[in-house]
Amino acid sequence: MSDVAQRRVGRRRKRSPLPYTWQKGYLLAGPAFIVMIAVFVYPMGYSFIMSFFRWDLSGSAPFAGLGNYVDELTGRQFRQAMRNQIIFSLVSITVEVIAGMAIALLINGKLRGMRLARTLLLVPPMIAPAVVGLNFRWLFNTQYGFVDALLRMMNLPTVPWLTDPTWALVSVTIADIWQNTPLMVLLFLAGLQSLPQEPLEAATADGASAWQKFWFIVLPLMRPVIMIALMLRIIDTFRTFDVVWLMTQGGPGGATNLLTVYAYLLAFQGVDFGHAAAVSYIALILSLILLAVLYGVPWLLAKRRAI
Amino acid sequence: MNAGAIPRAPKPPKVRRRKLTAGTMASYFALIATIGFTIFPLVWLFLTSIRSSADIFSVPVHIIPETVTLVQYMAVFGEYDTMGYVWNTVVVSLATVVFVHLLAIPCAYAMSRFRMPGFFFIIGLLLIMRMIPVIALAIPLFAVFAAFGMLDTKWALILAHTAAKLPVAIWLLLGFIQDVPKEIEEAAQVDGAGTMRTLVQIVTPLIAPGIGASAVITFLFTWNDLLLALTLTSSKAAQTLPVGLTNFISQYGIDWGAMSAAGVLMIIPTLVFVWFAQGLLVKGLTTGAVRG
Repeated sequence: MSDVAQRRVGRRRKRSPLPYTWQKGYLLAGPAFIVMIAVFVYPMGYSFIMSFFRWDLSGSAPFAGLGNYVDELTGRQFRQAMRNQIIFSLVSITVEVIAGMAIALLINGKLRGMRLARTLLLVPPMIAPAVVGLNFRWLFNTQYGFVDALLRMMNLPTVPWLTDPTWALVSVTIADIWQNTPLMVLLFLAGLQSLPQEPLEAATADGASAWQKFWFIVLPLMRPVIMIALMLRIIDTFRTFDVVWLMTQGGPGGATNLLTVYAYLLAFQGVDFGHAAAVSYIALILSLILLAVLYGVPWLLAKRRAI
Repeated sequence: MNAGAIPRAPKPPKVRRRKLTAGTMASYFALIATIGFTIFPLVWLFLTSIRSSADIFSVPVHIIPETVTLVQYMAVFGEYDTMGYVWNTVVVSLATVVFVHLLAIPCAYAMSRFRMPGFFFIIGLLLIMRMIPVIALAIPLFAVFAAFGMLDTKWALILAHTAAKLPVAIWLLLGFIQDVPKEIEEAAQVDGAGTMRTLVQIVTPLIAPGIGASAVITFLFTWNDLLLALTLTSSKAAQTLPVGLTNFISQYGIDWGAMSAAGVLMIIPTLVFVWFAQGLLVKGLTTGAVRG
């Protein structure tokens, strides 16, 4: 029945004076599709196939089956990159979202200079991550850098920011947090300002504390915005390359190899395209799984509650 | 003496003045601290770029530059010959913006108006393309462009960026076109305008803000890109500014002064767009995000 109804709607639409035929549609959209297929879909397919071969540009490329994937998933270097990636993504996303929310809540209100503040907050997320990387490398310089100078001035011990494996990962994470927290602040500010006022006023009238208002009203209403923020950051942290490349090139000793950096090094320093392609696909699949979990779990919960 | 002699007229009450409660004080403190942390690293970059090299490599670190000089900028353009990188970056970014929009505007129009079979499949594919880590694209593109002998050309870079930025641009423009009432197009077509004419003369002007937003986003993300340029180019013929930044790192150390100056040059377009086209930028970022 619904099928018939749909067809009838379709027929009625066809009578509109506009010649919206699908052939014409494909003619208009065709060039974009061709470019995307030739320069995006085809190379992606190519590297998917590449990930099943031993491929080192030497001419012969024997089939390896799942060999590349197995090598990587059991290999020490991949595990190190994976561990770095998990720490980096987890810490930077957590800090950015929580700090972003806290700052947005604090400065949400009619403060003077908010317009200028918004403009300034937009700068870090939009500048080249490569510049952020070099700038933090300079700030963290152990001899002439500003941060160590500050620490010395306060008689605190200086820190081997980029030379110690643990601190190097911390430094890279700090640079990412500096760059992306302002974006979270702007996103959450926009969300807070479009919140309906009635529930908050009602809660105030009922004598709810600020924390209660935040936890029971603001947070649930902000959920869509928080989901978008998480999605953006998950996609982004899994492609982080520029900051790390300018700060540490993955070093020292692979301590700041994120998945993308590791794949790049495999392909262009190790000339091992098969393994590199496998790693890049693992990164892609991981971020897809994370996004599926992010959107799937609340959906399942809502469904169960409905039953 | 004087003050006591003439009683002052009472000040007119300030309407806009609000009481500085503890809450607003905390808000201002948070605002100032946030802005401070946000801009300080950039101020430091700028300060480094106007110091003399002796001042840069001095211990203890001088917070305020001892001298103000343009030698670092002169080194960037003289010794390091960065003009070629700037030119390549400008060409690649502008060409990408033009190609992306020549392709994306008709595509988004077709997808929002023409009932194309496979619509949801295409939309899904566009969404997935947006999430793909650039490295997954860069590795095979290197192999493909190598096979066509196109490595180390600006064309390869422009093509790669065009394909990589198309999904976001189409997605963004789709939202703007859907907000255009169909009646306007119908009126145009009744008056005898063809599909192309309707698109070029009616629809395109109506979605100008959307095109502006996606153009700014496309430009900046192409301008900022390091990974594709690093992968696909190897000489000054096509290398862009972000790749040029890595040239300040040599086996003898890093020329921090010149590197900072190049970094400052690199972020100038961002500052210009943030200052003059903030609305477009926010629109581009949030529309893309919300519809993503």
